[in-house]
Amino acid sequence: MASSQEKITVYNLADLKNTSDDAIPNYLNSLKFRPSHRLTDVRLALGYTAFLLAGACFLWDYKFGFDATKWYTAAAVALYSAINGALTLWIFYVERGTVYIGTAPSGETLRITSETPRKTLPEYHLTVEIEGKKGGKKETLVVTGSFTDWFDAVGHFVAPPFQSMLASAVPVIGKHDPKRVAPAEEAASAYTPEMLDALSKASVSAVSSAAETASGAESTPGKKGGKRRKA
Amino acid sequence: MLSSLQNPRQAAAQLMNFGLILSTAFMMWKGLSVITDSPSPIVVVLSGSMEPAFQRGDLLLLWNRNIFSETSVGEIVVYNVKDKDIPIVHRVVRKFGLGPRAKLLTKGDNNNSDDTELYAQGQDYLVRKDIIGSVVGFLPFVGYVTIMLSEHPWLKTVMLGIMGLVVVLQRE
Repeated sequence: MASSQEKITVYNLADLKNTSDDAIPNYLNSLKFRPSHRLTDVRLALGYTAFLLAGACFLWDYKFGFDATKWYTAAAVALYSAINGALTLWIFYVERGTVYIGTAPSGETLRITSETPRKTLPEYHLTVEIEGKKGGKKETLVVTGSFTDWFDAVGHFVAPPFQSMLASAVPVIGKHDPKRVAPAEEAASAYTPEMLDALSKASVSAVSSAAETASGAESTPGKKGGKRRKA
Repeated sequence: MLSSLQNPRQAAAQLMNFGLILSTAFMMWKGLSVITDSPSPIVVVLSGSMEPAFQRGDLLLLWNRNIFSETSVGEIVVYNVKDKDIPIVHRVVRKFGLGPRAKLLTKGDNNNSDDTELYAQGQDYLVRKDIIGSVVGFLPFVGYVTIMLSEHPWLKTVMLGIMGLVVVLQRE
């Protein structure tokens, strides 16, 4: 959970990505999206099965010695490699960086995968696959952002610009959180560094608790302040 | 990122990653055991009795299958003696008979006498099944880490603790 008070190292791309990844389920679940944990559950099942098999192998080896249990051990090694292989394939080809699967209150299913394509640039790429209520045609959106837009200089995560990026780029999210949809001319990147700092200070109390409902009570004045400063 | 532990699935996944590292290492070891047919396919030399061939800390790779020929005189073997935990690395110097019942006598290259004194009470020779493998390769000095770890057991705890912390705290 990325609370605004938690600081991360802004030079650590993995930290930036993980914190942003964690913020997506927080945000969408607060909009009453229903998350699906199927992918994670399969991964956990595979992993723990492999681990328990190795544990069992350790126990019979310890108890009965190597020679008495050779064939069981050979079978266990083969099975373990198979399960571990399946786990690797699952992570690479089925999960492929998925950070969120969930169903919107209006019935569409979202699948969001994230990646940081360049090691040296603070870019955040989201691929959003949207499936309509009846199944049928799939729609794919690509959302790109820069971490500098929603992390302030010292490494606080600031929720409003991040959420407005998602809400503006993905209509299904925007529909459930119209307050966060940025006007056409003012994109998410209109938040200046000073505003990020101000927001992160102001928002500790109201904006980004885990159960945030994105009411926007606190952020609207923040936005106005930003405009005034720019003018 | 301790806060990520608040999410039970994420916590379970991180614990799983740590477990899988341990279990994969263990299963690789067991795989090697199965392939070489030896309960302990890699051993560390603990004494100087085979100098100048092997020194304390050398890592030995063992092979325990007699596919082409029987274990014979001149081979360096690792054997276990009943009621003694530590395997011994010495050379076969005498062999009487053939097959699994053949009587084998071993001796350390650097020792003055043969191994009859090292064998169990009343045992004068080894048979094939006492041997857990013949030496087929070695890496000098690498095994010294394990000697350090067994002579200073607290190092093990420290190492395991650090590994665990790193895996739990670091994602990716």
